[in-house]
Amino acid sequence: MDVIRVERIRKRFKNKNALSEVSFSIPKGEILGFLGPSGSGKTTLIKILTAQLNPTSGQATVFNQPVEMMHQSAQKMRFGILSDNSGLYERLSIDENLELYRQLYDLPKTSIDTVLQFVNLSEERKKKVIHLSKGMRQRVMLACAIIHEPELLFLDEPTSALDPVNSTHIYKGLRYLNEKGTTIFLTTHDMFEAELLCDRVAILYQGEIQAIGSPKALRKQHRENVVCVELVNGETYELPINEGTADQIADWMKRGLIERLESKEPSLGDIFIKVTGGELL
Amino acid sequence: MSISLKRARAIFVKDYKEFSRNYGISIVLIVPILFAFLFRTAGPSFPGALGFLLNISFVLLTSLAQACLIAEEKERNTLRSLMMTPATTMDVLVGKSTLVFVMSAVVLAIATFILGYEPASIWASAIAIILSIILYTAVGTICGLFSKTILEASLAIIPAAMVFSAPPVATILFGDFAIFKVLDYTPSIQLVNLLNIPNASFTMGDLLKPLLIILIWTVVLTIVSVILYQRRLKDE
Repeated sequence: MDVIRVERIRKRFKNKNALSEVSFSIPKGEILGFLGPSGSGKTTLIKILTAQLNPTSGQATVFNQPVEMMHQSAQKMRFGILSDNSGLYERLSIDENLELYRQLYDLPKTSIDTVLQFVNLSEERKKKVIHLSKGMRQRVMLACAIIHEPELLFLDEPTSALDPVNSTHIYKGLRYLNEKGTTIFLTTHDMFEAELLCDRVAILYQGEIQAIGSPKALRKQHRENVVCVELVNGETYELPINEGTADQIADWMKRGLIERLESKEPSLGDIFIKVTGGELL
Repeated sequence: MSISLKRARAIFVKDYKEFSRNYGISIVLIVPILFAFLFRTAGPSFPGALGFLLNISFVLLTSLAQACLIAEEKERNTLRSLMMTPATTMDVLVGKSTLVFVMSAVVLAIATFILGYEPASIWASAIAIILSIILYTAVGTICGLFSKTILEASLAIIPAAMVFSAPPVATILFGDFAIFKVLDYTPSIQLVNLLNIPNASFTMGDLLKPLLIILIWTVVLTIVSVILYQRRLKDE
């Protein structure tokens, strides 16, 4: 069953197309990552899917309901969101911020302890938000987004302000949520994050999906048909995959000349550059 | 349009905590009480003191506090976060307005007590003041929703003050010009009229006319504030 289904969505702002005929779907339990530079339309897409913005044309459904229904309380109980538009009450402590969300979602008191452990902030729970670092604030906002263990989670660059240690902690947590059944729609311009977390990746560039698939499938699709060989004397070769190369490699192997042998698989960054002609910024 | 009292209460408690720690805005609570002491000193030489005090307090306390609470939420992106939770429009608006309503009611009751006012009809005066608090809370909500920052909200209150609080002063300053007849239908002049009804002789009609006009203003502006809030749920 698809949790999100998007068909030919287009969004135009004055003279600029933010999204052009974007279509995709996300089955239940999948993590789909949208990779793209700033201004590629990632946030616009999240806003449309959470009914914060009307599309110019096209159709989208979430939980088999038109996106316009996302305003209803029953629908809002089912998803969580962390985006540029998320904010915290600075004069309140972490605990007090989460207490508000706990009550709005009608959750048991233990939900605050659970989510604080999840974002690794149990020790700092009494601190006022105004005294927190940017990374800590990001983790509190994530806690607010997932306190109700939503079926669907929208994350707009969730680890952009985090150091590698905290990012890794969050990745583990998101994987755990996903294993419990949460479908995750993620935008990022971090290739490592996309590769590590996402079941599928969509490359969004200038409002269009340029490529979509699992990282493995994308790498396979865009793989150059060559093998890299490094000999013990330091010489390196990139050879096309064919019968001649097989014979050559067999010969080197017999003579014990090969130091390293690998297929040349592109990274997601290489694929991005290849399909868009630009770099992630 | 549904409302969950539990959610509205959660928003009220959150706003109370925020407001009580925001000394920049919470200081407005003492303004009406200071005015009350000042006007009491003037004694009978200032006969319209209560009307003036209430009308100025509605803007400086009720509307300003509400506008700042809403604008601050917009400035810090917390209003959009709130809109993404199961809280409905009514949960948010009722939760946010209740704090300002309670504060205004308590502070104005204290100010009226200090001033020593004895109304012709206590229930009519009380209803008029309650309706006015709701009305000026709606004005504050509208100003807050049109503003992006607290500073903008503070400035947005000025035209509201001109429209809603200045008419009684304007009629005193500029006299009985025909053009000012239209100001008779503003809620502030109606409130002054109601408060100035003599204790000895009045009819039910004397009380009902100003109450009805204030009620109409209250209903219209409350509806406008709800519609505006719902439009703010979406980006342009």
